[in-house]
Amino acid sequence: MPNQQVSPYTPIPMHLLRSYPESVDGALRSIELSFDNPADCRTFYEAYDPGQFCQISIFGKGESAIGVASAAWEGDFVRFTVQRMGVVTTALHQMQVGDALGIRGPLGNGFPLNEWKGKDLIFIGGGSAFSTLYATVLHITGSSLKKEFGRISVIYGTRSSGHALYKESLKRWHENHEIDLFQTIDNPEPNWPYMVGFVPDAVRAVKPSPNNAVAIVCGPPIMTKFTLPILEDLGFKPEAVYTSLEKRMKCGIGKCGRCNIGPKYVCKDGPVFSLAELHTLPNEL
Amino acid sequence: MNYILSRNDIPKVLEMWSKTHQVFAPQKYSNFSAFLPYEGKAEQLCLEYPHNTRYPPKALFLPQSEELLSYTKDGQASEPALDAKPKLIFGIHACDTRAMTLLDTVFDAKDYQDPFWKARRESTAIITLGCDEPCSTCFCTTVEGGPFNRQGADIIMTDIGESFHLEALTPKGENLCKDLPYASAAEDRKVSNVQEKATSDMPKAFDTEGLKTALDANFDSSYWEEVQRSCLGCGVCTFLCPTCFCFDIADEAARSKRYRNWDTCMFSVYSREASGHNPRPSRKERTRQRLMHKYSYWVDQIGKIGCTGCGRCVRYCPVGLDIRAMLREAGKLPVEVIHA
Amino acid sequence: MTDLEMKLKAEAKRLLDEHLVDVFIGFRKENAPLHPQPAFFTNSDQLDDFVYNNLCQNNLAKFLTRYPHETKIGMIVRGCENRSVNHLIVERQHPRENIIMIGVPCTGIYDWRKITQRCGEEISDVELSPGKITVKTSKNQFEFESKELLHVSCARCSQPNPISADLVIGEPVEPKDPARAKRQVETFGGMTAKARYEWFTHESERCIRCYACREACPMCYCAECFVDHGAPRWTESMVSKAGMQTWHIIRAFHQTGRCVDCGACERACPMDIRMTYITEKLNTDMENEYQFICGMDDKTQPPFAAFTMDDKTRFVA
Repeated sequence: MPNQQVSPYTPIPMHLLRSYPESVDGALRSIELSFDNPADCRTFYEAYDPGQFCQISIFGKGESAIGVASAAWEGDFVRFTVQRMGVVTTALHQMQVGDALGIRGPLGNGFPLNEWKGKDLIFIGGGSAFSTLYATVLHITGSSLKKEFGRISVIYGTRSSGHALYKESLKRWHENHEIDLFQTIDNPEPNWPYMVGFVPDAVRAVKPSPNNAVAIVCGPPIMTKFTLPILEDLGFKPEAVYTSLEKRMKCGIGKCGRCNIGPKYVCKDGPVFSLAELHTLPNEL
Repeated sequence: MNYILSRNDIPKVLEMWSKTHQVFAPQKYSNFSAFLPYEGKAEQLCLEYPHNTRYPPKALFLPQSEELLSYTKDGQASEPALDAKPKLIFGIHACDTRAMTLLDTVFDAKDYQDPFWKARRESTAIITLGCDEPCSTCFCTTVEGGPFNRQGADIIMTDIGESFHLEALTPKGENLCKDLPYASAAEDRKVSNVQEKATSDMPKAFDTEGLKTALDANFDSSYWEEVQRSCLGCGVCTFLCPTCFCFDIADEAARSKRYRNWDTCMFSVYSREASGHNPRPSRKERTRQRLMHKYSYWVDQIGKIGCTGCGRCVRYCPVGLDIRAMLREAGKLPVEVIHA
Repeated sequence: MTDLEMKLKAEAKRLLDEHLVDVFIGFRKENAPLHPQPAFFTNSDQLDDFVYNNLCQNNLAKFLTRYPHETKIGMIVRGCENRSVNHLIVERQHPRENIIMIGVPCTGIYDWRKITQRCGEEISDVELSPGKITVKTSKNQFEFESKELLHVSCARCSQPNPISADLVIGEPVEPKDPARAKRQVETFGGMTAKARYEWFTHESERCIRCYACREACPMCYCAECFVDHGAPRWTESMVSKAGMQTWHIIRAFHQTGRCVDCGACERACPMDIRMTYITEKLNTDMENEYQFICGMDDKTQPPFAAFTMDDKTRFVA
């Protein structure tokens, strides 16, 4: 029998609903978890803002901090896209439907959607870090929120077409133009109809306007590093550029200490920071 | 109110308090002293010991290893019972008491509260023993405290010779003193003399004025390279520190339990990510983190320095590294190079 | 400054001034009276606070593995440090030609904890003279014979003199009597298994897993220690009996044939845990069973690291 839930270190009981590979090499898998107690689902999504993450917990293995990749309207589940890396993520890849696990969250600050209302949003992503951008786009486009924002663009790059996540959604967006999707791959492939080249070059080619716009950059450090100067060249102010950081985390609630950058805890004060904020913090990424 | 506890009465009074509280007092432990449950052995008490207990009393609220939950095979978690039985810490020094109030800002923060910490704090009364003879490694007055600092104490206790003078500072404290005789005006006067002398005798260990500015401005300075050269990278300074609170969370599958264990920014695995990337790859970054956390980041977060000057890190560093000397040097660094 | 200190300092100055070394590793005076600090001099102007005395408690060979092989390192070596350096050369941690060892016959390291315990009062100053130590506290002055204060490893040291230093400063020191030297291991070995386990439990249960013993040891230079290994996990993470005992046993076992019995691990421990009784036992076994003493030269592999085709037992399966 579950004990009184007073501790923020106790996960919400969940089980595996679905698990499927996302990338062609199998290194990335999406897992969809449903709540053992259906009421937890509503509580979860009421508290949730896109850009937040959870500590996914497998008893006996540990916890791993992973961004939420689903939207409330999709159903009574939470999706995470997991890159196989350490003990917990490997175990997550191997889980079977019905297996028990837990989550703590939603954690972190999430994207400041309220501040962005009325603006054009340009999501720039690469690799597995695209998951929270995807969740944000789903969150906005799947609800009445969409009319509160200007144009929504996504510039998304992967090593190859097979490495792209969420292929069905991408296909839909390419077809229905619900958003402006610019997809790029590192090297040419036969019959590839979209862009070829690295993300920074794609940003330069797409040339998003900085007027009344916000750029959100989430990807491997090298991608972020080369994309930021291009956005600056295009006229984006540091206040209008956002990114989401990753750090080794344990508690996820600003107690255990390790994820700080200067006086800010990535788990609690982040993971989303504007470039302007990052400029005030020590360079210790 | 002020009360008197004669030295001879200490065993009797501790006995009395033990009826209603679990009493912790500094007692002999191996070659040194630690806060241990008082079991009626007055000869084990170390109230006269010149130094702070070696093992920090923060462990009474944040045990070095603590169960966070246990789980069953089918994934049901249960939380351990909260420790709400009345406890009393007798004879803790002001630096260590004050450290608890700093740690409250972490574990009893506005956004998330740690129920295990909170339950222990709320069920514990603290009798601070002021230091009439601070040690050479002590520097509490330099860091916003003092040998008779009252923060966090329910009673402040002063050694006035044949007896201890107890000033109750909270209702909890008053309640504990209710069977003790009142202090006389003459005894009250003795107290202020002892307290003032001890406080004014302590030299300023380093200048805190402008220290944060200097540290912030020199994040990338070669100073950090220099200051860490002899550092071994062990956890002595942080584990013995009364304000260091970092912990790791680990599952012990054989026990079906999840634990938290003290952790330290001085270890490389502390910040190393699953990908292998480490934002603090060498002792340089890790030493910097330790000092910056206490003397810059805490100040940003709560407006206070995160060090209470207990001196344990100075006294027990295996290579004689002295945080006071490190900060004296840091304070002299140029501040022109300010981050954008 | 003693005559020995002056000579050592002069030699350090010469090595630095003549660019024979990139760094000279020695000790410097620190605030805390009982803890001189390892120091890394890169030019002779920095030698003002150079110090060398019986309170210099660290094994400087620890720092050898921090430098790239090309760095020319000068360092002070006592008997144990000389043997540590030799063994690090065996383990290819630094080439011999890039090390200049300035040897000092060692009269033994004073255990700072014995000093604080004997005084029982806050120490304000310490004065050292040959064979004697004068300790000033706020209220008293204490005089101790040096032999009362020697660290247990030094009290039984049979190799106090440097054996392969490039230059030795000072007169050779009489090694300790081997009969007395075996005392700790005999006491321990003479106990019943139950008593030994109680002793071991009593010592290891104070462990706070700060790993100062590991970090102070010149032989603990692994990029990743077994306790930090995540998959597989070798030991419990907590300060549980099992977690602490596993640490102490495996740490010692990893030193088999690699330990010079300098005692730096024990002196670094903030909880006064005795550890050298285990490594001393291993050292004695190495000596009795394999006639091997670690670090006596810089070529011989320790028995457990040396493999030959005619080994009596198979290695793995």
